[in-house]
Amino acid sequence: MSLISLKDIYKIYNVGGEEVRALDGIDLAIKENEYLAIMGPSGSGKSTLMNMVGCLDTPSSGDYEFEGEKVHKMDDNQLASIRNRKIGFVFQTFNLLPKATAQHNVEIPLVYANIRREKRLEMASESLTSVGLADRMHHKPNELSGGQRQRVAIARALVNRPSLILADEPTGNLDSKSGQEIMDIFDLLHQKGNTIVLVTHEDDIASHANRVIRLFDGKIVEDVNK
Amino acid sequence: MLSLFFENLRISISSVLSNKARSVLTALGVVIGILAVTLMGTLISGLDQSFEKSMEFLGKDVLYLRKFQWFGNNDWWEIRNRPDIQIKHSETIRKKSQYAKHVAPVAEWWTSVKKGDENISGVRVSGTTEEFAMITIAEVDEGRFFSSAENRSGARVAIIGKDISETLFQGKNSLGERIRIGSYNFRVIGEMEKQGKFLGMFSLDNQVIIPIGAHQRLFSRRGWTGINVKVDELDLDNATEELTALMRQIRHLRPSEKDNFAINRQDPFKEQYAMIKLAIGGTGMFITILSLVVGGIGIANIMFVSVKERTKEIGIRKAIGATSRMILFQFLMESMIICLFGGLVGLGLAYSGSLVINSFFPSEMPIGLALSALSLSMVVGIISGLAPSYKAAKLDPIDALRYE
Repeated sequence: MSLISLKDIYKIYNVGGEEVRALDGIDLAIKENEYLAIMGPSGSGKSTLMNMVGCLDTPSSGDYEFEGEKVHKMDDNQLASIRNRKIGFVFQTFNLLPKATAQHNVEIPLVYANIRREKRLEMASESLTSVGLADRMHHKPNELSGGQRQRVAIARALVNRPSLILADEPTGNLDSKSGQEIMDIFDLLHQKGNTIVLVTHEDDIASHANRVIRLFDGKIVEDVNK
Repeated sequence: MLSLFFENLRISISSVLSNKARSVLTALGVVIGILAVTLMGTLISGLDQSFEKSMEFLGKDVLYLRKFQWFGNNDWWEIRNRPDIQIKHSETIRKKSQYAKHVAPVAEWWTSVKKGDENISGVRVSGTTEEFAMITIAEVDEGRFFSSAENRSGARVAIIGKDISETLFQGKNSLGERIRIGSYNFRVIGEMEKQGKFLGMFSLDNQVIIPIGAHQRLFSRRGWTGINVKVDELDLDNATEELTALMRQIRHLRPSEKDNFAINRQDPFKEQYAMIKLAIGGTGMFITILSLVVGGIGIANIMFVSVKERTKEIGIRKAIGATSRMILFQFLMESMIICLFGGLVGLGLAYSGSLVINSFFPSEMPIGLALSALSLSMVVGIISGLAPSYKAAKLDPIDALRYE
């Protein structure tokens, strides 16, 4: 059974009286422990698809099931809950809270999951250690390098032991060395059994994945399994 | 939900602390509001205490027959020719009144009191009879009051107030000592207990009580005279009517003529006091409401700014699982914390203010009022934080994440 199943997904915006089909009939199934890259030029709908898969957005029509839960029928609170429990986000711009320490940043999803403080601190430390930041726990983002910040973001994405890790251009703001380190972490996570969806426009990043889909004008035009 | 509560508390406090100047300025309205309501409460509580004490001095069950009304319309042209109250009326009242339990004439004169080099001027010298001790609430706490025999013989004996004894004797025994009242020698036979100030205006302890015979002989009849009548509290109105009738009879007034004397009681003080209290309370309330409204608008304004500044943060929080309600509570909490902080600062200032008030007359900051003031400031926080927090909660996570 698929972890994620999108069936006949449409996302239609009305811009100045003109209909824009950001997603134009998407069918996509993602299995557990799949390592998928979504590629495509700007405006192809890959961000919209990522938001959809990440439960930040709901489709105009179509069915989306996440581990059998009908996401397309969920309200805002249910969407927040599924994001919190099942999805770990990694963004291009890291999106850490600037005033919070690394440990606190990683702890926040657990706050929203209503987990006790001692347990939270323990889980956050564990997660930061797993990305090699055990000695940077009490640093704030502006005291960390770009690569370290992205690793904090990965630790935050992992802390709830999500079913899906969703990364949007995770190396876009990093130099090639840090970018390589981040990709190594993703590869390792995949080996440990995690399901990863990468959004990227760089072929060498996409080459880490074992399945690549290409979008154009809101449609999947290519779906390659390695 | 508890972990979320503490997280919100932590966010709010760190947000307030990282914008110290802004938070202080924002909270100023609340500070002033809380300061006003608490100081007003302290002032009123102090006035209440002082007033109650002063009213005890007058007594609920005493009628004061005087030439003039204490309050109300004393039309000068009508009352300037009123005859004086005479000491002998007290005998008539005692004989004819059914309600009077004790009757004491009181004559007053102001002069200096001396002992050796110590000199106090402007002391109230009251001449009265031994029955005065039965009417006044104040007790003789050292020595004794003069006797009926001493009163009749016009003996030169005096009961002194605590201000006099402290100045002239400085803690030493005064009983049996001689003092000079005006230019006459008197022997001290008693001291009245400490009574404090009457309505904060003049000291009740700066007085000397002597037998009325001696008073009349030595200090002439230039001071004023009145008659104090003690009745049963329940008979107060009947006794007032009876005393009025008796005085009209004594003065031979025709039915068409108005009273040319006055019977005073403590109630008009109460009416006057209630008005003063209302004025203070009203002013305090007005300032409080005004500054809380203005303060609330300021807080709403700054919260809108805060929400705008932290749009990205809201996006991040929503992406990693915060619901709209959690975001709403986060900003409501922040707005409440600003108000609570303002309230606490206001209370701190009010406490210092209450110490200042306390140095004028005994008063205390009412704890209940202080707590309600704090709750009130929280309510202001909730109300003024509602619209900005709602705006934050309703942000779309995708738009908020894109915001730079």
